[in-house]
Amino acid sequence: MFEKLMRIDRRIIFIFVGLAVIVPTLFPSNLPINVPEPTRQLYDYIDALPTGATIIIAFDYGPSSFAEPQPMAEAVMKHCFDKKVRVIGINLFAETTTLADKLMQKVAKEKGAVDGEDYVFLGYRPGALQVIIGMGTEIASIFDSDYAGNPLAEIPMMENITNYEQISLLLDLAASSTVEAWITYANTKYGLQIGAGVTGVIVSQMYPYLQTGQLVGLMPGFLGAAGYEKLIETSAEGTAGINTESFVHLLIVGLVVLGNIAFFIQQRREE
Amino acid sequence: MKRQVPLVLCFVFGIAMIFTQFSPHTFSQGIHNEVTNWTHIITPFALVLAVATLIQTHWVRIRRRTTHWQYSIVVFAGLITMVAFGIRSGPKNRVFEWLYENVQVPMDATVFSLLAFFIASAAYRAFRARTFEATLLLISALIVMMGNVPIGDFLWNTVMAWTPWDNATSNASQWILDNPNLSSRRGVILGVSLGAISQSIRIILGIERSYLGGGD
Repeated sequence: MFEKLMRIDRRIIFIFVGLAVIVPTLFPSNLPINVPEPTRQLYDYIDALPTGATIIIAFDYGPSSFAEPQPMAEAVMKHCFDKKVRVIGINLFAETTTLADKLMQKVAKEKGAVDGEDYVFLGYRPGALQVIIGMGTEIASIFDSDYAGNPLAEIPMMENITNYEQISLLLDLAASSTVEAWITYANTKYGLQIGAGVTGVIVSQMYPYLQTGQLVGLMPGFLGAAGYEKLIETSAEGTAGINTESFVHLLIVGLVVLGNIAFFIQQRREE
Repeated sequence: MKRQVPLVLCFVFGIAMIFTQFSPHTFSQGIHNEVTNWTHIITPFALVLAVATLIQTHWVRIRRRTTHWQYSIVVFAGLITMVAFGIRSGPKNRVFEWLYENVQVPMDATVFSLLAFFIASAAYRAFRARTFEATLLLISALIVMMGNVPIGDFLWNTVMAWTPWDNATSNASQWILDNPNLSSRRGVILGVSLGAISQSIRIILGIERSYLGGGD
């Protein structure tokens, strides 16, 4: 029996994983969410910003990993628009441009934010490091117009914004190592405050920067998105995502435990 | 000559850019900003090079009828379609956006999502407590996995309600991330940084020349 259990067809595991995703998605559960401390720190930092302050959101993920950072972006933008904090959107990877543009428009419409006054989406420019460094000197030297083609000089909210000195926070929503690049070049060189929202797989890499204060806060994967949604008293894709992820994690933990029990029993029998 | 000129350029710009990092003088910052502006112009050339290489690679596959050469036709079809709509009407073009939202996004997300299935299968087969180190890794992984989802604390607070520790799963997970994880990550970061510094010095001084390619 245990030998059979150890040689279980992988397609059976695939079916279980499929069910662990589909069932909680169709029948959502309301598991109590404990907001991670780094997410609370990020929320507190944004909440303390004065009306009219400006933050940059860098949409540094791709379509392959948008499930986790997208709800984070949505929650933070809702918080900013409610507090009348202005948002500049940019992205260091070409493939995110349309996703980010659509998302900013969607949240702005929901919150009644005006393009060019409350938010602006600048889009993509090639050369990630050069973009980060160049914006520290002059944003207009990198982005001479917004994504829609309006010259930067004609955008009302960009009137008094020259470089990072007028930016209160950069929030990097990342699926790769861009957070380190922002810390190295924008925080260390120009003193820009950095916050991050990252996919689950790179969360552990962020902790050294949190401890040193180089990151003011962090949203770790779906848990961070759900935590931020809880803090702004809403329930959206982040909350739905973490509930579904809960059951997949539970399944994988169960499979690992089961696999090890079968392994040890078989080993003992062989001895 | 083909090797000496790039070596001299690398040395001069490498040393100059290091000094600009330590001098706030306007002259020094002027050089820094000027060179940064040059890189903005040079960077897009990488895109041209990448597209040229992509076309060359897939054209050769089609011409030689190598294994799965038919997929290279799909590459050309995708490339030509997106470029045709993108260049003609810009990225806000309706067809361009429709193709992006209904072809690229779902395909990218689907391929990445397959990982969940393979990870579950691989974890079941390979994640075994064979040695002391493997057991430590396994226990830490299980705690972090359960601590990073609300069901971990929910189960603990329900099943282990008699213990004095509330939310023990997420607290234990946080402790692992804040202590052993942080310490080891910092070690890795320091090691990588020292390696990057030494490699940069080797490149600037012309000791490491592999970036120039082979032959004269």
